[in-house]
Amino acid sequence: MMMSLKDRLLERDRRMAELGRYEEKLELKERDPIRFELLYSKMVESVTSAHEVARRVSASPMSRELGEIIFGLYTPEGDAVALSRGLLIHVKTMSRMIKWMIENGYEDDPGFAEGDHYFNNDPYIGGAHCPDQMIVTPIWWEGELVGWAGGLTHTPETGGSEPGGFIPFARSRFDEGLFLPCVKVAENDKIKRDLEVLVERGIRSPIYWLTDNRAKITGSQIIREDVKGLIGQFGVDYFAKACREYIEDTRLAAEQRIRKVLPPGTYREVSWRGSMMPGDETLLHGPVAMTVTREGRLNFDYEGMSPAGRHPFQGTLPTIEGLVMNVVIQNLFYDLKHNEGVLLNIGLNVPKGSAGNPSSIFYPTALWGITYGAGLASGQAISRAYYAKGYREEVHATSALSSAYTAGGLDQYGRPFGAHNFEFAAAGLFATAVMDGLDTAGVEFNPEGEMGDAEIWEQMLPPVYLSREIHVDGGGYGKYRGGNGVMSLYLVSGTKDIDIGAFGAAPIYSAPGLMGGYPAGALYMWVGSRTNMHRLIAEGRPIPSGEGEDPAHPDFVEMVEARWELIPGANRSAQPAREGDLFTAMTGDGGGFGDPIERDPELILRDLENQVTTHWTARHVYCVAIDPETMEVDVAATEQLRRKQREERRSVGMPAQQYKARERETILRGDLAKPTARMFHAVLGSSEAFRRAFLEFWGLPESWEMTDPDRDDEEVE
Amino acid sequence: MPEYPDELIRDLLRDGLSSEELEGLQRQDKDEDRFEQVLRLEQERLEWPERILLCLQAHLYVVEKDDGSKVVRCDCGQEFGDYQRNWKESALVFERAGADADAIYRGPRVADPDWSILREFYCPGCATQLDVEVVPRGYPFIFNVELDLGAVELRRQ
Repeated sequence: MMMSLKDRLLERDRRMAELGRYEEKLELKERDPIRFELLYSKMVESVTSAHEVARRVSASPMSRELGEIIFGLYTPEGDAVALSRGLLIHVKTMSRMIKWMIENGYEDDPGFAEGDHYFNNDPYIGGAHCPDQMIVTPIWWEGELVGWAGGLTHTPETGGSEPGGFIPFARSRFDEGLFLPCVKVAENDKIKRDLEVLVERGIRSPIYWLTDNRAKITGSQIIREDVKGLIGQFGVDYFAKACREYIEDTRLAAEQRIRKVLPPGTYREVSWRGSMMPGDETLLHGPVAMTVTREGRLNFDYEGMSPAGRHPFQGTLPTIEGLVMNVVIQNLFYDLKHNEGVLLNIGLNVPKGSAGNPSSIFYPTALWGITYGAGLASGQAISRAYYAKGYREEVHATSALSSAYTAGGLDQYGRPFGAHNFEFAAAGLFATAVMDGLDTAGVEFNPEGEMGDAEIWEQMLPPVYLSREIHVDGGGYGKYRGGNGVMSLYLVSGTKDIDIGAFGAAPIYSAPGLMGGYPAGALYMWVGSRTNMHRLIAEGRPIPSGEGEDPAHPDFVEMVEARWELIPGANRSAQPAREGDLFTAMTGDGGGFGDPIERDPELILRDLENQVTTHWTARHVYCVAIDPETMEVDVAATEQLRRKQREERRSVGMPAQQYKARERETILRGDLAKPTARMFHAVLGSSEAFRRAFLEFWGLPESWEMTDPDRDDEEVE
Repeated sequence: MPEYPDELIRDLLRDGLSSEELEGLQRQDKDEDRFEQVLRLEQERLEWPERILLCLQAHLYVVEKDDGSKVVRCDCGQEFGDYQRNWKESALVFERAGADADAIYRGPRVADPDWSILREFYCPGCATQLDVEVVPRGYPFIFNVELDLGAVELRRQ
């Protein structure tokens, strides 16, 4: 009798625990490595072709233009074997979906028939948030389930309490939109009409969701039929064993790689996000301790992460798993076969109840902020280890924390719409230990994301671009500066019914630097309502084309009369706008590397010529004397400025022990601002390990307890 | 013999690589002997004789002294104590917020100090900026790299 999938999954876990390997011997590889690699290349060819065809089936710019799509081939137990390029983190989240269905008895009811396609966007099962939507289909061969094909897209609208899928003030999961947890959306390869009606009437711009579904089902069918062809050619036993060997082959190579390039030790980083819920603004703590063991294992420990709560800046366990897979593939295993094997030497500790592993599915995950932060910090930890081993060409600061706008209402064609602009995938990249970060280059969650054509966004969303420029001095300062993101200025046009919102973060420094480099600045958004734009245009007077050189006095604020509002952190609930209103959106910038006063003046000259930095920054931050007229560097004056800067540091810098004594008093007095105090209070109460480290560092007695910063509020009668 | 010529790795350490050379390094399999080669080239550059055991981060090294102690040392010669202890405990610290933050970040790019400040760590010897932490007030110093030096040395033998 054939083993059930549930038993096969248990057997897979038992085998892994017992052997420490996915497959005991690489017999096929050893017997005929050419044949072994040939089959793998055919698999990659198939998932790649699924990816390319699916992009052309979808009507969503996310899938068509921006690369927010990925396909994979999985073992019967749901482990990734081969994957296409694209939205890397979701290879693992799709794997979680398959395993969840197996564990929850789907094999018996509703069953996995040939031609069935299951949909999921529940991030507690697999995915990161409501917009991440996956569809998988079983692959059958002569009565046996031999694998799964699946695809994922990121859709721009989900039917949430606000438009655009990213709900910046979601208080519960039920604000985020339509969740379909592991629902069969097609039988015999035919999409169920009633489910399409559910989407048509359930969300604002159903065309994206519905055509994305067609794209994923098309892609999965391509993989399924290709796999059948390959089984016909190679034999079913060869295919099944080869799938397991590909995973073990990667696991082995990953283990060797870790031993070779990362020195044993523990590497720590901390990332931050914030919940901006009115009256409960709280900083969120995302620490990571990465341990490289002598045996070639990597353990990522997120102990001390802030507890989950009623805000959208948290993620789920599948999300953090996916992020870690994404980070290790990009930083360490870029040239291996990308599959489940990359994760098999990796241990994860994400405490239950934390913002990376909420204990209740009630909590929203729309912005998955702190899990993303902790994921990026894990890459930073790898960079530190690379540095210690001498591989400086792989060392980098932190990738950007990005933001974008959302909108909904009636569009310029009079149709209901809702979407977010996803140009935020073109953020500034981190600086590295050997070069500046690339401008408008990408984001870490999708190594090939891009900004899309302005015209496509203008077709999809009513606001028109007045400008789309490189964010001047956006990247963190450093010997090598972080990459600059994009700053766009929009004019509301063509509709009398539109809400504009934005998703970003708290007003924190957005992407930390490394080894003396500064972080990128905080995110922000400007909104100008009741403007005189129509009059300026009618009279042929100048209109703004961006922020200009001084972000404290942006050109658009100087040039346009309006009620200007600044939103630090760029997190804004959707609010009505009218024609003629202006607003900005910015993608994030990357962190810098190294002491800024070590920056080569030639690099500053180049940035000045490219208009991505200013004379103000050259002088105040980099301490370089450049004549604005002749554009020549005064070497002697530069040396003098830099010497002065070092003297300044000696005068303001306080010996660490003296600084600690001063700050200890601050803590004892309880003199911390509410967002910070709430964070400490929550983390000290939820993590014994953090509490111990905190008491030890500040020399506080065991009996010390932090006062609840909101205690006084409760005492009001 | 190392896989790469000393000139190339020296350029990597001293900011002289062309983008083609850099890409070449990134695309190739990692060279087994890089660790030893980098230690040797860094040792050449530094003006003190004690043996470097490891490059900890920009400007900082773990060094073995004559008495057998292993300490963190800046390339300027300033010492930060035992390598098992966070070197930041022996640095100069400057909290950058308010007007000091405005001095380098303009307008809305400065974070709200109720949420986030910068903690700059300088070498007391040469006043190089060695690290900038992004933290809220009251956060313990981050101990970034805690090495299993025994294991590193084991692998060298």
